[in-house]
Amino acid sequence: MKLISCIIRPDRLPPVKEALFRAGVTGITITKVSGHGGERDMVTVRRGSRLLLEFREKIKIEMACSEPFVEATINAIVAAARTGSVGDGKIFVQPLDRVVRIRTGERDNAALTPVTAEIVQKHALELAGKS
Amino acid sequence: MSTTLRSLGTRLRTNWQDPLIRRNVGLLFLGKAIGLFLVLSLMTRWFLPALLDAQAAAPAPTSAPDPMASVNAINTVWTLVAAFLVFCMQVGFVMLEAGFARSRESVNILVEGIADTCICGVTFWLWGFAFMFEPGTPWIGTTGFALQGLAPTYGATGVPLLAFWVFQFAFADTCSTITSGAMIGRCGFVGDLLYSVGVTGFIYPIIGHWAWGPDGWLAVMTPISFHDFAGSTVVHTIGGTISLAGAIALGPRLGRVFKRDGGGPMPAHDLIIGAAGGLILWFGWYGFNPGSTLSALDTAGIGRVSFNTTLAACSAGLTALFYSYIRTKKWDLALTTNGFLAGLVAITCPCYWVDPVGAFFIGIGAGIVVVWGIDALEYLRVDDPIGAVPVHMVAGIWGTLSLGLFAAGKYGAPTPTGQDVSTVVTGLFYGGGLSTLKAQFIGSASITVATFASAMALMYAVKATGTLRVSPEGELEGLDLHEHGSSAYPEYMISGSESVILSVADTSKAA
Repeated sequence: MKLISCIIRPDRLPPVKEALFRAGVTGITITKVSGHGGERDMVTVRRGSRLLLEFREKIKIEMACSEPFVEATINAIVAAARTGSVGDGKIFVQPLDRVVRIRTGERDNAALTPVTAEIVQKHALELAGKS
Repeated sequence: MSTTLRSLGTRLRTNWQDPLIRRNVGLLFLGKAIGLFLVLSLMTRWFLPALLDAQAAAPAPTSAPDPMASVNAINTVWTLVAAFLVFCMQVGFVMLEAGFARSRESVNILVEGIADTCICGVTFWLWGFAFMFEPGTPWIGTTGFALQGLAPTYGATGVPLLAFWVFQFAFADTCSTITSGAMIGRCGFVGDLLYSVGVTGFIYPIIGHWAWGPDGWLAVMTPISFHDFAGSTVVHTIGGTISLAGAIALGPRLGRVFKRDGGGPMPAHDLIIGAAGGLILWFGWYGFNPGSTLSALDTAGIGRVSFNTTLAACSAGLTALFYSYIRTKKWDLALTTNGFLAGLVAITCPCYWVDPVGAFFIGIGAGIVVVWGIDALEYLRVDDPIGAVPVHMVAGIWGTLSLGLFAAGKYGAPTPTGQDVSTVVTGLFYGGGLSTLKAQFIGSASITVATFASAMALMYAVKATGTLRVSPEGELEGLDLHEHGSSAYPEYMISGSESVILSVADTSKAA
């Protein structure tokens, strides 16, 4: 089991979400974050003064995956989030000790698969097939 | 006291030793001196001679007829109060547009609304008013540029020219702000300035002259002239049509997926601001319609117009509310707001000539056509973020035509002292036959087609300069940061320190 967290551009969230759903990863947590990577600082202007905006807005996605899903998840994120310029973000993979589903008390791999995973994935694949 | 003074002296002395401060203070005072010099030279060039002339002419004979004798005081106050209410619609428009857009383009909408207003004021003073409201040819007014050489009151209204100008400026400004509605989110600011001059300086006044100018060809059409009481066509259809042309020329926002492609409209970022803006527009409409009598002494008229305005908005809002519920099983706020606005747009043309029953049904029609208009745009893959085209163009056309159906045949025209019922307007349903409907159709169709053609030419001309649409990077970043360098909600953006103020030297590397 691995905990995968990734930082991506806010405007790449819809394609990344679609790619993850197609890959069968449907349990995700999303946070709006700000941070500093390699990109240029942004300058804002307020009443004529120029202010440096040091941090860029990003989206952080966290998901816990069982081993067979790890590579698929990473590939899905990279393919969907890459624009080729500085600021595309990073993926962090950490080992995960224990997982518990609160509703049932299931442990580890049994707790990892959301009950609706198959429906969500099927729908995502249908959408992808259509467009 | 003395210690305060002494510390002040010390601070001044230390500051004065800093070369940067010395240079900046020097520059500041140099700027002020240049400005003062310019103002003084302008004053001596124009103001002083006029002052001297006035002093010389002060003891002129007072027996000359007073040029303001024909002014009607109560009508003037009525027109001005209405003008201020119409101006208050600007607040409604920027709130409605900003609320229904995404947060990253809010500052852009606010700056555009303010800049459009300012551009409109200057162009309408210099030539817009002359094009629109002064005699000339049936196609364009040709006298009174910069309001020079005009009579002290406008026509036979008894309203001073400048008061009438303020009222009509507010109308022109409304048209210009409607225009930006379907273009928000991707239109560059320079492009906005350029097309604004085209809209408020040329398209609106010239085409408006046809219907509202003293010798416009639609106004003098026989046997029945085109009627547009407060501007369903002149203000709203023109504004909405230009908006449509702009949205077509721009193309949809990045990431906008249409309903037939499995997507839907992008979510509004603040429905509270949006709905409050819609209600402020409703409030402003009480200046728009009743004020267009230009006469408070037509008491029955202004009462009827206010009543019809209210009733049509209510029935249109209800229609859109229930229509949205039937379709989606949810009570839709945005659609209801668009619905009552469509009712207001529709009743703007016929408000003086219809009775309550007519107003009620005009509102119902508006509530339906606005939903159809939204569907049609979605189907045609035209991205209109706030619904400017369905509300203003589609409902404007419906309202204009509805006069030909619902005109009650009892009302003629307002006069400065009452009302004139020597010629009444009668619609199809009240036994007037098709003649009024035909006149309304000619007016609405010719103005819509002419506006669409000229607006497409204008938008593609601006597009050819490369300023109409921002770069894809700028659009994804958001117009607020890209075009204006500031976010509408700066406190929600995390910054490293309170604020790092860059000096002039730093900006070159970070900009």
